[in-house]
Amino acid sequence: MKDPILEVKGIVKKFPGVIALNKVDVSCQKGTVHCIVGENGAGKSTLVKILTGIYQPDEGIILINGKNAFDYPEVFEEVAYVPQELQLFEHITIAENLLLPILRTKSVGSHLVSKRKLFQVASPILEKFHIRERCDITVSEIPPSSKQLLQIARALATEDREIVIFDEPTTSLTAEDTKLLFEVIKKLKEENKAVIYISHKLEEIFTIGDEVTILRDGKKVGYARVKEVDKSWIVKMMSGREIDDRAVFRPRKIGDTILEVENLTGPGFLNISFVLHQGEILGLYGLVGSGRSEIAQSIFGYRPLKEGKVKLNGKYVHFKNPHHAIKEGLFYLPEERKYQGIFPFLSVRHNIGVALGKKTLKKFFVSLQKERSITEEVIKTFSVKTPSVETQIQFLSGGNQQKVIVGRSVSYPFPPKVIIFDEPTKGIDVMAKREIYSIMKSLAEERQIGIILISSELEELLRCCNRILTIYNGKITGEFDPEKAEISEIIAATINVTVEKESNEIIGVSRV
Amino acid sequence: MFKMLGLLKRTRGIGVITAFFAIVAFASIGSPYFLSTYNLQALTRSLSFVGIVALGQACLLLIGELDLSLGALAGFCGVIGGVLMVNLGYNPWLSFAMCLLLGAGCGFLNGTLVAKLNLNSLVVTVGMSGVYTGLNLVISHGRAITGIPREIYFLGQGDLLGMPTPFITMLIVALLIMFLTQYTLFGRYMYAVGNNREAAKIIGIRVDQIQVRTFTLSGLLAALAGMIMVARLGSSQPAIGQEWVLPSIAASVIGGVSPTGGIGNPVGAVLGAGITGVIENIIVIFGVSPYWQTAVSGVVVVAAISLDSIQRILSARRMNI
Repeated sequence: MKDPILEVKGIVKKFPGVIALNKVDVSCQKGTVHCIVGENGAGKSTLVKILTGIYQPDEGIILINGKNAFDYPEVFEEVAYVPQELQLFEHITIAENLLLPILRTKSVGSHLVSKRKLFQVASPILEKFHIRERCDITVSEIPPSSKQLLQIARALATEDREIVIFDEPTTSLTAEDTKLLFEVIKKLKEENKAVIYISHKLEEIFTIGDEVTILRDGKKVGYARVKEVDKSWIVKMMSGREIDDRAVFRPRKIGDTILEVENLTGPGFLNISFVLHQGEILGLYGLVGSGRSEIAQSIFGYRPLKEGKVKLNGKYVHFKNPHHAIKEGLFYLPEERKYQGIFPFLSVRHNIGVALGKKTLKKFFVSLQKERSITEEVIKTFSVKTPSVETQIQFLSGGNQQKVIVGRSVSYPFPPKVIIFDEPTKGIDVMAKREIYSIMKSLAEERQIGIILISSELEELLRCCNRILTIYNGKITGEFDPEKAEISEIIAATINVTVEKESNEIIGVSRV
Repeated sequence: MFKMLGLLKRTRGIGVITAFFAIVAFASIGSPYFLSTYNLQALTRSLSFVGIVALGQACLLLIGELDLSLGALAGFCGVIGGVLMVNLGYNPWLSFAMCLLLGAGCGFLNGTLVAKLNLNSLVVTVGMSGVYTGLNLVISHGRAITGIPREIYFLGQGDLLGMPTPFITMLIVALLIMFLTQYTLFGRYMYAVGNNREAAKIIGIRVDQIQVRTFTLSGLLAALAGMIMVARLGSSQPAIGQEWVLPSIAASVIGGVSPTGGIGNPVGAVLGAGITGVIENIIVIFGVSPYWQTAVSGVVVVAAISLDSIQRILSARRMNI
């Protein structure tokens, strides 16, 4: 075996009250993709921060190219890091984003920057990373998927790095862009770089991974060559127990119509009509940017609605803002947890309490006791992992934040009739996903709530939904029965391609 | 060492209180006059005006807004109060109440411009500050209105239980703000709006309503400070409030309300006003050139903001972010 370019030995990192990493070893070879998987809180991000030199471990050593990284901190410069969250400069051009700090790129001769020259240098890089945008437009004008690719390009373009770390790069990428990303990774492999790939999505590991290391509770619990193992082995290692990742969460008790949407038109979508029943989970499946979130947010009153009618519980409604929608029992859980979901500096109690309205009032004042007891109930029901109810929510992991938001929405002082979940499992791990699924199922079955589930993961929709509507370019392109439909047909409908009509599984284009 | 840093992080309020008492201790050891009844009365009376305005300003900072017109608004209301009481001969108490309503109305206007037209509060209130100052001068011709009825002098010049009435008024306002922000739904919504406006909208909070009401509240408080000042001076001076705005922001920030919104307790503004007031007092009683006053106040503000940021960095480090 070749000498590893990166070797991590016996890393221990302690934080007050927790051991984030406990004697972790990882080693990476040139020209391979090493995947690191684990549930939320397993220690992945701490490991990344140690590998990039942000944290100092309490014990253990890191060898990069055979040199001890703590004696020669400059070797950390070999490590390129693509962060999970978008960190771009929105209001300057793509080229500038790509090449900042401009001097370092050697693309300008003197201290004066020539835009023309910048664009000349940037264009070939954009091409290499399959970014189909002009390099002189500002980042705020391009779609999220291009931003993600741009961020990757930026990490790799300017300097020759030997090790590249991807931290869940596909969370905001469409299936198509993911393919492009994988091509980029393959190219990196061919260039003999070492790639560290962190992800929740097991399919991705089997598509591009060579080796996989599994972390659980800060410990390394497994290592294997990807070829020699299967999905269920990884899941078993991650969770410490055997789970069936094919389990189905389809509710079985469907009632009367609860929500009827007729010819809805607004910015980003056209002539949308569908019905939702009590106790039903209806999936909206489409690519990022297909208009699915816009449809939901317009019904909810968060975005303007041009035309169309919405009938909730038998009566026509037109919500001018979310306040009215919530009063009528229509709730929406946003996709962008960080920007639209949580109040980062407030405690878990405060995050939940703020939505409880009159439920927490004792005469005229908010009763902290009532707030606390309801919060504790949510924490128990949804098994939120938090040190205490007073912890600021920004310190919880993504999955736990999501559970708090779900718990909050079912604790409103108005009984929910319809809940719209917009990508509820984005960026959360397998176990937390299952919990969200079973929460949705029990909301539908036990409380007869109609649920709309918006997702870009088809597998999720197939396991949870009673019906799936496909959205392409702001229009509904098909309605499918997840128990019978052909997967290829569903996918085809989201990119508006018709497959041969041999199978009669399509129930028919939605005509409500 | 780590423990100490942790303590600093957790006890944000206590940090301000400690700083306050440290400065008070320094002043009392340094000068025998500091703790004299006369000096304490003068000190507490003079810091009350900025204190009351700062309580309103702190509420605005909490929801992520600010109002630079509060000083001009206070002066405007003071002049209108003079016109009502002296020129028109209205009952002083009625006039007082009408001016408070006027202040609330001006705040409401500021808030409506910000919330409904979705304008930046900094820009709107700089503009409105000009409007209020201008109206003030148009009405008063730049001259003081003397002959304010003696009935209301008590509010500005009087004492109650050995404490100046403006100071007691400020403490009462602080208590009310405390209840409003910590124990009412409105207070909950203020924190939510200051933390994350979009999320607040999505969970059904009417953000524009919260903005308008908070602006109205701070307008009301500014008018209150302005009218008490009229009562203290016994005349309506057009210059009332000119020096209140920046100190009100400084007091809020020193008191622990984050200038970016969503963090801190607005009641801290009282402590902030206390700290700046004592420092100014020290400069006077220590015989330092009064020209130093502005520079020292500036240093205190910058130090307070730095402390705010350092605390945040420490807390983030502790929690592994």
